[in-house]
Amino acid sequence: MIAQVFRQLAFVCVCALLPALVSGAWQLQWKKEEPLAAGEIRLATARQWGDAVQWVDARSRTKYERTHIPDALLLNEDEWDSLVGPFLDAWDADKTLVVYCDGGSCEAAHKVAERIRADLKIGGVYVLKGGWAAWDGK
Amino acid sequence: MHFRIPVFLIASLLSAASSHAGLVWDEPLQQYQRTPDDRAMEAHFTFKNTGATPVTIKQLRSSCGCTTARLDKKTYAPGESGEVLARFVFGDRKGLHRKTVEVRTDDKAAEPVILDLRVLIHDPLTITPALVWWKRGDAAGAKTVQLTATSEQTVRVKSVTSSNPRLPAKLTTAKAGEQYVVSVQPADTAQKESAEISVLTDFPIDSPRTYIIHARVK
Repeated sequence: MIAQVFRQLAFVCVCALLPALVSGAWQLQWKKEEPLAAGEIRLATARQWGDAVQWVDARSRTKYERTHIPDALLLNEDEWDSLVGPFLDAWDADKTLVVYCDGGSCEAAHKVAERIRADLKIGGVYVLKGGWAAWDGK
Repeated sequence: MHFRIPVFLIASLLSAASSHAGLVWDEPLQQYQRTPDDRAMEAHFTFKNTGATPVTIKQLRSSCGCTTARLDKKTYAPGESGEVLARFVFGDRKGLHRKTVEVRTDDKAAEPVILDLRVLIHDPLTITPALVWWKRGDAAGAKTVQLTATSEQTVRVKSVTSSNPRLPAKLTTAKAGEQYVVSVQPADTAQKESAEISVLTDFPIDSPRTYIIHARVK
């Protein structure tokens, strides 16, 4: 009789343990941060740098005018030729540039960062992982 | 009894796969080479519904605001062909660009198809670097910019003009039509200065381009 109770208890424990293990593994996987691509930084790092960061908004003018990170400069490839002059006037060589776009793979931000490095030969340029969505907390 | 469910599942999956052959794309990856003067391009992604049932295209999603995609209609009968017209507006882009259009249909068994447009926007003249700058108090030495025409295209630089007399520019021809050097030297670096140096070329003949070199004392 006691042996049967222990067997049933053991069975119940195993039944409870399995979903718990699966759930734990799922949540660990869920919380795991996506790895950074070359030249990317996380929002937490940029925040640590504080005022030493100059934000660069690589989104469209419409989105920039709707809302943007405070003091961010607009520089995108749609209007590069007309935007790069005002960007350079405002650029502070002592600040680190962090470029952002909408989110996802942030191809537009990577392209702008690459062009700042390659065409203008300005170093210390990073891309914000997750872009505007990361800043906006979405 | 134990084998009934898996066998049923496999049979169902095979049946679903065969009846959802869906859209077959002729050339889902297309590559082009253009110049900035082309300003935009269109790519035609053609397809055929090879399945036994009509397919409705529910969504076309572009990877960039610079690329639009459109269809003549949404539903395609078995055996019917169609095309997605993707239009990429270059803006001021240069270099290699990859733009994608994700196609989703009402065929739940089918994965979304990614139409892949790769365009090399090839500028016949490269300017390295496009910015010369000095910190205030730096020595006011000259800085040079190399202008190089690509091997396929001769580009003659006719003149350079600075917008600020305190940041004058001088043009030197290393090899006509192929290689030029622009030298920029500030009068001094005591105060902030800003200049845009216009580089006038003879290309293309019908509408010669002017390139810009930026000069700053920060």
